[in-house]
Amino acid sequence: MTELNQIDLRELAAGNKRAWDRFVAASTPLINAVVRRTLATYRLSEDDVMDAAQDVYVRLCANDFRLLKTYDPARAGISTWLAVVARSSAVDHARRRRQAMTPIDDVPETALAVEDRHVEKIKVPDGLLTERQTLILRYLYDEERDVAEIASLLKIDAQTVRSTHHKALLRLREHFRQESN
Amino acid sequence: MRTDRTSQTDRELWQSLTTGQDVASTAVSDLDFAAWLEGRLSETESARIEAAVAGDPDMRRGALELAEILGKPLPAAPARMAVRAQALVGFKVERQASQPGVVAGLLQMVGALAAPRAVMATLSVLVAVSGFMVGGGLGESYAHEKYVTKVASLATSGDNSNELTAFFSTDGL
Repeated sequence: MTELNQIDLRELAAGNKRAWDRFVAASTPLINAVVRRTLATYRLSEDDVMDAAQDVYVRLCANDFRLLKTYDPARAGISTWLAVVARSSAVDHARRRRQAMTPIDDVPETALAVEDRHVEKIKVPDGLLTERQTLILRYLYDEERDVAEIASLLKIDAQTVRSTHHKALLRLREHFRQESN
Repeated sequence: MRTDRTSQTDRELWQSLTTGQDVASTAVSDLDFAAWLEGRLSETESARIEAAVAGDPDMRRGALELAEILGKPLPAAPARMAVRAQALVGFKVERQASQPGVVAGLLQMVGALAAPRAVMATLSVLVAVSGFMVGGGLGESYAHEKYVTKVASLATSGDNSNELTAFFSTDGL
């Protein structure tokens, strides 16, 4: 079977049927895995998984393959990019399904508004912690992930995660000790 | 009031800092997020993505899930998933048939306009010929015209009966 990185992207974006078929065959294991993992928390049916996967491919070829044409191999590998696209698509699908399954009268009006992506702000002065330090603390304490998982995600070794964690806590403690003085 | 934070555990310290106040997150493109997942970004670019990920619980979960999936061998997908997806794109010949080029499109348009007229013209001829045949054709028409003329001329003369008899007998009417 053709690997994803062997697909001729120019032929694919030009709408070549054979290239598309090879691309689909090579990508369905990845799309399937990402969609299933994403939808696992929503407890949707097998039909929803199939529909969500189809949504991903529709997005890729819609409007003369517009989304596919935005892919830049110099920025990221195609597998990683496809996985990100598939996850976004699956989340959108799940949200639409959740809204469709809930009777409209049971949904508060505020929930029908356009969904904003909000973040949690912490009481730490800007610049006290680096973005990476904040991220590691988030994963350790908010997500309760272990050091090995975080190291794998950030492509650093476990000792670097521990060291970053330790330095971040030292900074926080020093800052609030000074504040309380 | 002084709070002795040194007795707090690391977790308590961190959790005490979360205010729950929301601000809108920075948008991160799929391509940038993918590049960050692969560790391809510069320190500055990574910092921007990490700030966004740190502030968004969904992005944090997504990052870990994707990293886990991408690092493992994948099971096969159901066969019909590929079949459905492959059906989204047809062969070029089929697409061209449904979406003709400029010249072909113009010819199609002319043909589309001409076709009803050609059909109507053909039908008109058929109706005319059919009616003609039903009416007796050219021989009938000529005889009828001659009769009318003859009757008209006899009507103007004095002695009609013998000439009319002779006329009808010769024409076999």
